[in-house]
Amino acid sequence: MSEPILKIRNIESFYGPIMAIRGVSLDVHPGQIVSILGANGAGKTTLMKTVSGVMDPEKGTITFDGAQIQGSEPHKVVQRGIVHVPEGREVFPLMTVDENLSLGAYTLTDKAQFDHDRELVFSYFPVLKERRNQEAGTLSGGQQQMLAIGRGLMANPKIMLLDEPSLGLSPLLVQEIFGILKRLNEEQNMTMMLVEQNANAALELAHHGYVMEIGRIVMDGEASDLMQSEDIQNFYLGVKEEGARENRRWKRKKTWR
Amino acid sequence: MDASPLPPQITINGVQFNATPGQRPLRVDGCMTIGQLFQKRCADLGQRTAHREKDFGIWKSFSWADYWQHAKWIGLALRQLGLNRGEVVSILSEDRKEWAWFDLGIQCVGGITSGVYTTDSASQLQYLVTDSDSRFLIVENEEQLDKFLEVEDALPSLQKVIILDDEGLHDLNHPRCMMIADLYALGQQAEARDPDLFEAEIEKTSPQDTALLIYTSGTTGQPKGAMLSNENILAAIESGARALPTLETDEQLCFLPLCHILERDVSIYFPLAGKCTVNFAESPETVFANLQEVSPTTFTAVPRVWEKIYSQVLIMAQEATPAGRAAFGLALKAGMARAEYIHRGEPVPAGVAARFWLWDRLVLRNLRRMLGMDRLRRGGTGAAPISGELLRWYWAIGVPLVEGFGMTETAGIASLNTPEINRIGTIGQPVIGNDLRIAEDGEIQIKGLNVFQGYWRNNAKTAETFTADGWLRTGDMGHLDEDGFVSITGRLKDIIITAGGKNITPAEIESRLKFSHYISDAVIIGDRRKFLTALIMIDQENVEKLAQDRKIPFSNFASLCAAPQIRELISQEVAAVNKEFARVEQIKDFRLIDVLLTAEDDELTATMKLKRGFVEKKHAHLIEDMYT
Repeated sequence: MSEPILKIRNIESFYGPIMAIRGVSLDVHPGQIVSILGANGAGKTTLMKTVSGVMDPEKGTITFDGAQIQGSEPHKVVQRGIVHVPEGREVFPLMTVDENLSLGAYTLTDKAQFDHDRELVFSYFPVLKERRNQEAGTLSGGQQQMLAIGRGLMANPKIMLLDEPSLGLSPLLVQEIFGILKRLNEEQNMTMMLVEQNANAALELAHHGYVMEIGRIVMDGEASDLMQSEDIQNFYLGVKEEGARENRRWKRKKTWR
Repeated sequence: MDASPLPPQITINGVQFNATPGQRPLRVDGCMTIGQLFQKRCADLGQRTAHREKDFGIWKSFSWADYWQHAKWIGLALRQLGLNRGEVVSILSEDRKEWAWFDLGIQCVGGITSGVYTTDSASQLQYLVTDSDSRFLIVENEEQLDKFLEVEDALPSLQKVIILDDEGLHDLNHPRCMMIADLYALGQQAEARDPDLFEAEIEKTSPQDTALLIYTSGTTGQPKGAMLSNENILAAIESGARALPTLETDEQLCFLPLCHILERDVSIYFPLAGKCTVNFAESPETVFANLQEVSPTTFTAVPRVWEKIYSQVLIMAQEATPAGRAAFGLALKAGMARAEYIHRGEPVPAGVAARFWLWDRLVLRNLRRMLGMDRLRRGGTGAAPISGELLRWYWAIGVPLVEGFGMTETAGIASLNTPEINRIGTIGQPVIGNDLRIAEDGEIQIKGLNVFQGYWRNNAKTAETFTADGWLRTGDMGHLDEDGFVSITGRLKDIIITAGGKNITPAEIESRLKFSHYISDAVIIGDRRKFLTALIMIDQENVEKLAQDRKIPFSNFASLCAAPQIRELISQEVAAVNKEFARVEQIKDFRLIDVLLTAEDDELTATMKLKRGFVEKKHAHLIEDMYT
């Protein structure tokens, strides 16, 4: 396989005295979608923040495109081609769609490139074109999520870090947005690292998956293999084990095999 | 109680025993059966606290009177439901006060208690209930109940299943299941009809009656039920009182499975004699927090637990400030120096003692308080070999930790070190009241009133376990030193005969490997092979920590085991062990078991030891790989 574009090695990150990530190592190869699954508080978002430079790791290295970037300022990280689409969308509500997109492209200086990128965004998210002059705060949740992804695309990234794009969206919208992400990956060869609680959608989309629990990776594998794992099925995909009795409430212990 | 005059008695910590131990009739405070002793204790101690259990975050006390009342209801109700004397009741539950209540309730009406591990599968439960011919099954909660429901059709002679915790089971409607509250109600009615029946049943029990069955987790073949009589347990109590003194004011923490003879003795039977208080840990996961809260005066655990605590302290020390680290280092050194003298049995020179006193004030005392060992008078370890280094470390921090040996077949007690008479690396001297000899082939053999009655409905196995002159064959090999301390070298039946015809006891090499910080267990392979190899299970926590410290990338357990640096690390550990053995006994190659095993897996016993037979079968591909 090709050399990974993003290599994370033994990362530890803290919130004050609390160790949120206790040594995580993972690889993302160019053109791949990697999903990170895990419950609340597993450290998924912290991992994303550490990659994008919002947080600095205490220990470990992050190698992107051959260069070590751990501890870099976020704007430097963006310039290298890593875009972080944060959890909860975080669009600028009082700015129009167009203005939001322009902000995403602040690293660009070439007007022609800007126009080209914006056309690309509009081709994937036609609704943004329709509403380009509308204030972003008045968009629906799904549209805001599209705008957040579009804004990320405007930086012409080599990899996108997507933090829970499905948050708070209807199943239909999740399907739509994940469909667009799949197309972006296939047509633009966009590399993505995706954090999700919606394990089903994430594993459908991804090539490779990692499972995090309390700051560590406990399992990893091809997405198709993970979907077959009994632990993933029971704890993430909501498959009920056949039991001796209906209304069974207890769950067997996780083994991560 | 019989009318014959009492033989000369002595009093140990307020409890009366025969002055000459190991003699019939065995008496503890004049009682000859567990039931009698239980009755006497509850009557005398009444409202004093017998048990504590945590409920929604608060420790609640349960008195000896509660103990008596509930055991009485349980016994009477089971009797009314059809339990006859000499029939078995199985208990499938984590440790909790009801475990003790049922154990005594069942025994007082002449039943026999048999414990089932909560990690056992439905099919194992089926085997145990069928083999013991249990009439009743006590299940803790819905998870355990489901095991019964899975195999219920195969258990026709089981009359009723009693459920302790009804959470999630309110709409359960099953003809063979009942809730514990209903059982108590039944017991209450029975008590009202015949108030003296329970006491009368206790009187019917003779010392020779079987009190409990303990299934031994054979490393090969199906488990066998060891029958222990009232007298066996009283013998264990008699020996225990002399070697492991218990005070009325003692606080204990119960967390190892009560199905195992070690915890059963320590947390149910010894406290019956010693009148101390037993605190039940909330769950196996919360033991360390509970330990802090309870701060027990005596604490018995398996080596794995002692190792875990040690690792935690090491990690804490590593992450402390440089000054803190230095202070800990000096304190430990002072502790080690003092421990050296104690272990040699020499008086501690004033200078050494003063230095220890100072560091104890500054560092060690706080450390012990943090661990919940500040009141600890005696720490005990058994059920598996423990490294001498670890014992010394505990002595250095001021925790008197001693190793002992016992097996199910000796009612859990056979030879012990004590804080006063301790020789590290041995399992101590045979306890007073049982005789120990080393047979010609090196096997340790034991005789005494604590030696069990035989295996339940398995005369063939029983016969195999005793020598012609009536000594118990422990299956362990060992030797006695000039002062009577016993050392164990290995299991007799595990002896490996290499292709070169050399006899090798794998346990010796395995325990050396296990003493490594990074190896949690190992199995030596080599029977009828050209050379020895090992399958090694790494210690997840410590190896992960090391990988993280040395920046060795890994994702899951398998990738950790596959990391070349980790292999190299274990290879160094193996090389270090190899140095201590002759050339034919050296490990030429090894493989790591790269799945994280849990107690539910066949390869592990409930005390997390690897089972040779299963490991050899399940990981045959790894073994073949080493010999091709």
